[in-house]
Amino acid sequence: MNNFTDPYDAEEVIINRKSSLPLVWFLPLIAFIVSGWLIYKAVSEKGPVVTISFPNADGLEVDKTRIKYLDVEVGKVTAINISDDLKSIRVTAQMNSDAETYLKQQTIFWVVRPQVGLGGVSGLGTLLSGPYIGIKPGGGHRQTRFIGLTSPPLLKSNAEGKQFILETNNLGSMQPGTPINFHGIIVGEVLSHELSAEANAIKLKVFINKPYEQFVRKNTRFWIDSGVDLSAGADGFKVRTGPLISLLSGGIAFRASAEDAADAVMAENSLFPLYDTYEQSTQVFYSNTLKYVMYFNGSVRGLTEGAPVQLRGIPIGKVTGISLELDKKTAEIRVPVTVELEPQRISIVNNLPGVSDKDVVEQLIKKGLRAQLQTGSLLTGQLLVDLDFHPKSKIVLNTNTSVYPEFPTTASSLDQFAHSAQTILDKIAKLPLEDLSADISKTLQSLQSTSRTANTMLVTANTTLGSADKTMNSAHQVLNSLEPGSTTHYELDKLLQELGQTANSVKQLTDYLQQHPDTLIRGKKEE
Amino acid sequence: MTALAQGLIRCHDCGYLSQQARQPRRCPVCGSRLHIRIPNSVQHTTALLLSSYALYIPANIFPIMTVTQLGVTEQHTIMGGIIALIDKDMMPIAILVLVASILVPLLKLLGISLLLLKVRYRWQSNARLWTTMYRIIAFVGRWSMLDIFMISILVAVVDLGGVSQVIAGPASTAFAAVVVLTMFAAKSFDPRLIWDNQE
Repeated sequence: MNNFTDPYDAEEVIINRKSSLPLVWFLPLIAFIVSGWLIYKAVSEKGPVVTISFPNADGLEVDKTRIKYLDVEVGKVTAINISDDLKSIRVTAQMNSDAETYLKQQTIFWVVRPQVGLGGVSGLGTLLSGPYIGIKPGGGHRQTRFIGLTSPPLLKSNAEGKQFILETNNLGSMQPGTPINFHGIIVGEVLSHELSAEANAIKLKVFINKPYEQFVRKNTRFWIDSGVDLSAGADGFKVRTGPLISLLSGGIAFRASAEDAADAVMAENSLFPLYDTYEQSTQVFYSNTLKYVMYFNGSVRGLTEGAPVQLRGIPIGKVTGISLELDKKTAEIRVPVTVELEPQRISIVNNLPGVSDKDVVEQLIKKGLRAQLQTGSLLTGQLLVDLDFHPKSKIVLNTNTSVYPEFPTTASSLDQFAHSAQTILDKIAKLPLEDLSADISKTLQSLQSTSRTANTMLVTANTTLGSADKTMNSAHQVLNSLEPGSTTHYELDKLLQELGQTANSVKQLTDYLQQHPDTLIRGKKEE
Repeated sequence: MTALAQGLIRCHDCGYLSQQARQPRRCPVCGSRLHIRIPNSVQHTTALLLSSYALYIPANIFPIMTVTQLGVTEQHTIMGGIIALIDKDMMPIAILVLVASILVPLLKLLGISLLLLKVRYRWQSNARLWTTMYRIIAFVGRWSMLDIFMISILVAVVDLGGVSQVIAGPASTAFAAVVVLTMFAAKSFDPRLIWDNQE
């Protein structure tokens, strides 16, 4: 049956074998290469397996929950078990091969869930897709067992910037995530807060993003920028508002000082004070201060700690303390007001080395520099301490009980006014009004008799006036006769003309005589 | 009694019988090349079969499609899909997919392998049964493309951006290649070889 040993056929088979053999065998070769490559790729992409423990597995699902870094998938949850102590869960995750480089000791895992807060909404994508596990690469030794965080870390990526520490007494509404704005731009956030070692202050760790961290310089001031800041000081009312988000959830603001050079950037983790208000932060703080105590007469109502001390209207210091003193021996109540003067605020001309600021102040006091309480604002009734020269006033010093030298005071202008009014009233009260009224009545009586006498005198005067009238009349007639048009006037006019003519001829005569004095002896020569 | 024994060659295309000694070896009716048997049938089939085997592995271990639904990305392998269907109490569909996507290609591969082994080692057994098996393999081949059609339709229809999206995975390409290669393998196998070995 199988006798197909045909010569042509055999020949053809040989030809066919030669020509088709290599071509067709390429196909399995390619197939093996392709599948081999696919398998190799899949195997090589598999990275290390890590276990992460979390308090609970809310929303985590095997094979569905991803591990993402910067929203790029780097792994997948492959198993979820309860830990041996039954207190937490253990998530086993298959990481990608490139994850090996960053699975280190300080790598952080946390579950990303949607979060809604005043500061904003985050993780909205997870509403639909379910939570995923976030990862933040860190340094350290290699590790495959991790403890997941319950809340997301504040810096989800290795953002560039710097950390600083702010010191404050009152945490207020500050919390991790509180924004930090710089001229209204949100440039950072609060990372954490902790009590200082002495438990007398709160240290806030803040992060400022690049490139804004360069504005944190030596004289940079941070202040709490929480919402509306309404202040009524000696200089009237002031309203300041921060950005809307700070209005709702509080915030911190900072500003660079113009005094700083651009290269005076502060090192990481530098400490800065956090001022309670913008107002406070604007006050320049001087290292070199002089403290004095002042004793004012009268009430200091309206004077508060922090009230300005002005010299000719320019603030050069502030009130740092007001207290009340009672001297038991003398039963005297006094109000010592401690002030802090900042001599650096005054620019010096003709500086003399070796003369301390204290000496200068003493010299000024000798020249009549006195402190005086003045009303800063009529609206608020706030007082301020004004320094000015009163060369006439004496230096009145009290028994100084404080550690600071005393600065002489003088009564305020209002006080002075009240004082002089008082003395006037006192003097009025001391007047002998009884005697005075008796005297006055006597005087009035004598005045009465005098007036009577005066009356008779007036009658006499009347007659005198009548004769005077007559005299006046005749005087009038005389004057009338001298009026132009009257004969007397005409004659007078004539007389004056003749007198003029006479004077003229006398002048001719004297002239002639001057030229010919001999005519007096020889007589006028005929021409 | 075969045509070969009679010194006749049957044309593959039109079925015309012509003399073996005829030169050149072309069918006088349709002009196609005349062969006593499909040339290199066993070799071709073996090569195609090996390729199919090679691709059958990635077709089953890799995801055949990636479904993104409301931001959740899920990758499905063929077997994973069947398990998911069983989990969802859809047993009939699970069995259908299992048969069409796993059993049929696998049985086809095994069947062709057996046919090749029979021809190669001249196993003396019921040739009629072997031929029936060959017919079934040749017929059933195209139906394995069901999965690929399904995926291509899904990819085209379900494309709603972030809401829902289907992307064909690497396994689908491998699977399609397996189906096509087995079809070619079945075609390149000359069933007359089954009978040739028969004593």
